[in-house]
Parts: sequence; C-alpha cells; structure tokens
Amino acid sequence: MTQDAMIDEWYPVGLVSRLDGNGRKTALMGEPIEVASDTDGSARVTSKGRVLPVRVRYGHVWASLGQPQKELFAIPEADQPGRRFVDVGVVRVRCSPLRAVENFLDIAHFPFVHTDILGSEPHTEVQNYKVEIREDADEVWATQVKFYQPQAARSASGGITTEYMYRVPAPTCSVLYKTCPPRPGEWDVITLFVQPLAEDLCDVWPWMALFDDESSMTDLIHFQQTIFLQDRSILENQIPRLLPLDPGMEIPTRADLTSVAYRRWLKRRGYTYGAQLVAQ
Amino acid sequence: MTGQKQDQLHERMTIRGAVDSASFVPWIRRHAAKLGLRQEIRHAGPGRIELDVAGPVELIDMLEMGCSLGPIDVWVETITRTPAAGGTGG
Amino acid sequence: MLSDPTGSWTPVVLSADLPPGTVVPARTPAGPIALWRSASGRPSASADRCPHRGMRLSHGFVRGETLSCIYHGWSYGQAGNCLRIPAHPGLAPPETIRVATHPVEEVGGVLWVGVGEPATQPPQLAGLVPLRSLQARAGVAAIEAAAGAKADADGLLETTQGSQKIHLLLACQERDETLIHVLLEGEGSVAERVAASRAVEALRRKAEALEMERDAP
Repeated sequence: MTQDAMIDEWYPVGLVSRLDGNGRKTALMGEPIEVASDTDGSARVTSKGRVLPVRVRYGHVWASLGQPQKELFAIPEADQPGRRFVDVGVVRVRCSPLRAVENFLDIAHFPFVHTDILGSEPHTEVQNYKVEIREDADEVWATQVKFYQPQAARSASGGITTEYMYRVPAPTCSVLYKTCPPRPGEWDVITLFVQPLAEDLCDVWPWMALFDDESSMTDLIHFQQTIFLQDRSILENQIPRLLPLDPGMEIPTRADLTSVAYRRWLKRRGYTYGAQLVAQ
Repeated sequence: MTGQKQDQLHERMTIRGAVDSASFVPWIRRHAAKLGLRQEIRHAGPGRIELDVAGPVELIDMLEMGCSLGPIDVWVETITRTPAAGGTGG
Repeated sequence: MLSDPTGSWTPVVLSADLPPGTVVPARTPAGPIALWRSASGRPSASADRCPHRGMRLSHGFVRGETLSCIYHGWSYGQAGNCLRIPAHPGLAPPETIRVATHPVEEVGGVLWVGVGEPATQPPQLAGLVPLRSLQARAGVAAIEAAAGAKADADGLLETTQGSQKIHLLLACQERDETLIHVLLEGEGSVAERVAASRAVEALRRKAEALEMERDAP
C-alpha cells in the first residue's frame, strides 16, 4: 500500500525525555529514521540524510515524512495546572497501527480483556452512545459513552459508572477523556500516540494528563502498561493483521459504532496505510 | 432463550451515496443473510438503494453498521430507517 | 494423516493434553483451528477466527458446554452457532451467526479432526498407548530418514530405540514442520517411558539436522 494521504501527517517517534546526542534508529511507514538531540538540545529527525519536519509536544517528538498541512492537534488539558503528565513509554505491537487505534476506541472488550479493572461481568451491556465526524476539525468524536468499571483509574476507590469521550484527531492517534474520580467536574486525559513502523507493525506511545495527587509515577505507569499489555495479546492474534475497511468477513454491531465511524473516516480521507481494502 | 419470540421490527432502510457499484447489492444480500434477516431490495439505482428488512432491532442495527462501510468501491453518505407497514412478504 | 480423495483425518492432540474446560490452537490442512473440550468432556473443533472481529478463538475460554471469544465474549456452542453477544444481552443470536466447525473423533487416546468428507474412520491404533507429543522443525521425509523407517498410510511409523519399540504418529503441519505423537506398546514402567521420550527427542534432533542439510545451499 502506498503511504498516500497519510504521509503528510505528524507521527510520534520518541520521548523528549529520552533524546540524546548519538541518536536512536527507528522507522516511520517503512522508511528508516534517526531521532537525536541537536547541539542546542532541540530535537532533530532525519531519514537517509534528509532533515524531516519536527515538533516537540505532549512529552513526545513528532515528525513527518511529508509536508503536514496543519499544526499538530491541540490538547488544551496538556497546559492545565494541577495535572500529572505521565510518559508511559512504548509498547511494540505486531499489528497495523490502525488496528491499535480501533482497539483503543472499543469498550465492549473491557470485561473480558481488562477483567476487574476497566470492566467485569455481568456488566457487559453497551448502552447506545453518540458518534459524529466533526467536519470543521476533521475529527471523529464519540460522546455519552457510559460503562461500569470496578477500577476505572489508579485513583479510583471502588466501582463507578464511568463516562467516556473518544476523539480521533489524526489517523494513528486517539485521545480519551474519562471521568476523573478525584475531581468529578474534570476529565482525565489518556492518549494513544501510535508510530507506524510498517503496515503491520507499530510502536504505541501512551501518554496521560491526570488529576491524581496520591499515586506514585511508577503506579500510574504500571496501571497503564498493564492495560496495554492486555490489549497487545489481542492485537497480535487478530485476523487479518491489517484493518479491514470492508467488514464483509466481520459482524460489526451497534457497540462497534466508533470503530465503524473511524473506518469510514479513514476510507473517506484515503488513509489506507495499514488498511485492508478487500475483505478476506 | 432462542425460542422466545423476538420483537420483529419491519423497517424501510434507505442508503444514499455513491452506491451504484455492481458489488454493493450482492454485498448487502450476503450480509443480511449472515444476520438471518429477511430483506427485499425495493430500489437500486445511482445514488440510492432502498430495502425492506425485518428482524430484531439489534440485527437491523448490525446490517446498518455493515452497510455504512460496504465494499471499498462504495461510499455511503447516509442511511435512514423508517418503520415499514406490514411484513416484507414471504 | 489419513487422506482419501474426499477428505482427511489429522491427529491434532492427545486426549490427555486437552482436559475438560480448555481450548488449544491446532493446525489442519484446512487451516488453523481452535480445539476445545467442554466441561462435560465433549471435544469440538472450530475455525480459529471469531466471526465478529477476527480474534483467534484458541485464545478464548470454555465455560460449561460453550467456547467464548476472549475479545468481546461472544459464545459458541459445539455446533458452532453463536449463543450470546454480551454487549447486546437482549438479543438471541440467529442460527446464521456461527463459526465453521470440523468433525472430531477421539480414538485410543488420540484426537483426530476431519477435513472435507473423509470416507473412512480414523485408525483405532489398537494396543498402542499415547505417551506425549512434540513438534519437529523437519518434514516427514527427514523424520523417516532419522528413524530408518517409512510411515504407513495412517502416518504411523515404527522404530526401535535400544530394546524399545516406539510408534510415531506424524501430522504434517508445514513443508518442514511435523507434529509427532509418541505411542508405546503398553503402559510400560516410568523408566521405559522416560527412555522412550528421550529417544524421540534425540531422533528429533537428528531429523532437524537432516532437514537443515537439505535446505543448506
């Protein structure tokens, strides 16, 4: 699959906190790249000697193989005082970067994959929720998503009905806003920044902006890593490895509404790197 | 559980968009059959496909979810559903 | 593997290695399968792909007489029909939502999966007692060469290691990968069973070495 329209997007390529002079070799959509800190400490990303456009935001270094037409998407909460900003690190997953995002958008798996943390039987029913593609921002949004969670966050004590909002601001990135146990009026922000290494291989960089003054940084990171390692065992055992845009071999249900909207959004914009076009 | 009579809905589903590819109607029929839904294509032309469908609401929702994507050479702009009078016949 | 024009039987696992309430992956000429045994002990084989969103069913869990997908909990009966969709509990799934299944025969402690319409039943292997299974990165030919014997139509090969007669039931997984089930001519003492197991591991090493030579440029 050609890199097509997805080439002119920003992608996470590493942690700002891990930048160093001698550089780290990695890849972006099948091209070798190197991520290093410049003499003046700023980030520098090159591919076969070519200097790529670069941004530093949300604790990560972002780069593009093409010419991004707009700035990196905004997350206002990233500048809100009182939040803990958590670099979770990276999880390598043998699946399409688009599959990683689709899994992040799904709640029906919580009772089975994240048992006794993000969900538990018999609380498996998925209530109807709202999904829209916000044309002005060109983003997919799912709102009014509700689900009972035994341990919604490190900061939660006891089961609560959590409210979620999902946002897809870029083809391989998603931002999740969820009820914040210590501060009912606020949203905790959990993001999934996915670096497409190849069509069937990606590095997942979760990042969080939370209200939680009790938990240690280690506990916050462990909580999220546990969840993503549970997801990895799913993502690496799904057929096909690429994300089907034609659900002819699947049975999407109403609970899969966000996944369907995400696939429609990818299809409409020609974001097909990591996608399967014909169902088999 | 399976014996219990589900509340059978009868609906007219109207699919609009770039839908006149030869592969879409057979795709819809296959997907409806996989869901055990009785369906009847009432109209299939450039820009619009109309079908009557009967079954439990969750299954009709599943048909809508699938059809909103369909094969790669189709683009569905909107799907509207209205209660249809009587049965789909047969 | 026992095959005739209309179908074939593949020995996929020893009965003892599939206790009640468990599911394991297996491979057949028709592709990967999820092999499971219900709580009451009945074995079933289904395609290793959930019809919902393609998760491998061999990663699922068995509860009572059903197999459930680990991703969203969709549950299937032994005939492959979907019985439950947890996200939509009010729906009784229609018969048409199902996963493909294969016939399973359990004979003499060996579980065979049928592909296509096999004309005959799997062999009884009368008098043989299953010991263990192991995978070899070697084709059937290399194993035959290492054992100094030929496998018969059922895929059964007899070899003697030291004073022991050991029977190997071979199932071809890939061109250069074979599943080997080891059977002895009776219970045998612990020492005899350990010796037989070690002998077959030595034979595997020999076969894998032969396979490497065959592939070497």
